[in-house]
Amino acid sequence: MTVALSDVLIGVFSTTLTLSPFYLFAGMGEVVSEQSGVANMGLEGIMLMSLMTTFVVDYMTGNPWVALLAAIGVAGVIGAFFAFAAIRLRVDQIASGLAIYLIGLGLSFVIFNTVYPSGLTPNYIPLPPLMTNWNTVPRALGIIFLKQNVMAYASLVLVVVTAFFLTRTSLGLRVKAVGENPKAADNMGVNVNKVRFLATLFAALTFGVAGFYFAGNFVSGFQTDIIAGRGFIVLAMIYFANWKPYRVMFAALSFNIVYAAQSEFISISGFGVASFSTLFNMLPYVFLLALIPVFGRKARAPKFLLKPYKKG
Amino acid sequence: MRAYTQGLRWLRTTAYNVLAIGLGILAGLLVVVYAGGNLGVALSSLFLNPIKLAGGGQQILVRFVLFYTMGMGVGLALKAGLWNIGAQGQLLVGMVMVFVVYGFLAFLPWPVLYIVMILGAALGGLLWIAVPTILRVKFGANEIVVTILLNVVAVNFAFFMLSGPIKSAGTELGFPQSVTLPAKFQIPRIVSSVPITYAVPATIAMGIILYLVVERTPFRVRANTVGESHETAKYAGISIPRMMAITMLTAGALAGLAGATYIMGFRYELDIGSFSTNYGLVAIICALVGRKHMLGIGFASFFFAYLTIGAESMALSANVTTYVVFAMEGIMMFGILLGNYLTERKYAV
Repeated sequence: MTVALSDVLIGVFSTTLTLSPFYLFAGMGEVVSEQSGVANMGLEGIMLMSLMTTFVVDYMTGNPWVALLAAIGVAGVIGAFFAFAAIRLRVDQIASGLAIYLIGLGLSFVIFNTVYPSGLTPNYIPLPPLMTNWNTVPRALGIIFLKQNVMAYASLVLVVVTAFFLTRTSLGLRVKAVGENPKAADNMGVNVNKVRFLATLFAALTFGVAGFYFAGNFVSGFQTDIIAGRGFIVLAMIYFANWKPYRVMFAALSFNIVYAAQSEFISISGFGVASFSTLFNMLPYVFLLALIPVFGRKARAPKFLLKPYKKG
Repeated sequence: MRAYTQGLRWLRTTAYNVLAIGLGILAGLLVVVYAGGNLGVALSSLFLNPIKLAGGGQQILVRFVLFYTMGMGVGLALKAGLWNIGAQGQLLVGMVMVFVVYGFLAFLPWPVLYIVMILGAALGGLLWIAVPTILRVKFGANEIVVTILLNVVAVNFAFFMLSGPIKSAGTELGFPQSVTLPAKFQIPRIVSSVPITYAVPATIAMGIILYLVVERTPFRVRANTVGESHETAKYAGISIPRMMAITMLTAGALAGLAGATYIMGFRYELDIGSFSTNYGLVAIICALVGRKHMLGIGFASFFFAYLTIGAESMALSANVTTYVVFAMEGIMMFGILLGNYLTERKYAV
């Protein structure tokens, strides 16, 4: 069997563009939140909850846009709860984040299992592709760009907006100020905890969008622990990206190119049935790890990351 | 006066912990009752089934050994201010290593191979945590990020090993399994009629030794100093990289060792059912509830071993998914943290 190189490349780029937005949405939120000094380690739990919500609401209404709103709403409620604990009550961010993860991991399946005890569900109705008859245009254009749904492009816009927000707007600069030196920001009249709350809430909302995006693009139905650590990977990407939005995009795209390349390789080579496929599945993560000595050396976290602020 | 205040503080913390755990249990009960379960049955399954059911006592002790061994490692690293979120991954690698040694070093005579299997598991966990340790010490890379990343890699690695190098010849495609360890490679029972193995007294002995070495020597102060402030540690002449390496590597070895006792003392085989258990996160909860104290973690581990078995039994009694236990654990953990906040606020200077 011969495979045309162009087909392989089209496959790799198409998969990359389909998968990356999940990391981009969550990544932009977490960047803003961590720049303000609050790391939300519970992101995967929030994503599981909004992913579950997406499926349930989509099954019930048949409208993915309603599902998106519901997913964002659920994420916002959990996020506000976390923000209150971490900022106002100065609870340990790592431990409370892990607690949120456990709650999301358990509750998402408990709720799903209560609504659909048999596991039999209606068909998931995804967002429509950008162009419904994408297979009528040249293949590369259609499969890579027009088959994607509008949220894939929204994630790219969000990267630009986040980068602009953090460097060019006064609220963005305040976000950075409260993460770098909350005392000084406070002296300048910035309400430190309010800015942090807004940043943390924004992050939670983006996790909701990421959870929504996971449905359809990654999986076609809900199961236990279905995100399988991919939410946590966002934390690693931000670290390699030195808390800069465009570099998060670079990290996400390169991670997914490696991921897409290995999965394309497995499907072509027929290794899928052999045990080698799992070895190749490790590649994108090992690739991220290998980046640490290269990029991690210069990484410098916001000075007051993980440190709660108390006035006075 | 100071002792009095400390006593009060301890009482307060304990009261909040009990409250938090009660809240978690309440949430679980609500789910069970909502799903149509009987409250009385749920309560009795939660509190009595762990000791009433056949094999319940054994289950509790198996989890106690798991949580305690891993929890001590997590607590030790926490003393030095390091978060080992990767205990689950190190545990998995430890389990895999048992079969790697068993399969590839089979030429060794029996008692040697037996010991090498246990040491191999500990070594596996140690090597797995060596990556974040080196990256942390040499490159300043955040150990939380790297240990989390390695958890995902560990699952893939274990799956690869299980579907190839350590697969049992007769297993079905798609649900790979290892061989079953023969009786002479299982940790023996203390009394042959009772399913309690020597792993239990060995773990308690290890806990006491670690208590003496960690809590009763200047090591405790040194580790805590590194955990509290690197500036102070430098000033006091404590080697920060050394302290980080010692605590992290010990944590990894302990988690790997937990894999050996779990496999050789209870499961005797490995399948993908052991991959997504989240015991590593429960070990973190035990370390926090035990206040990073080597004996405290032991009591917390026993308690959570009992509780998780009971909660699973409660979920099954009403046909609710056992995933409810994760939510209960999360709520308890959150409540315990809130309790710490309330205590700190009361006694803040």
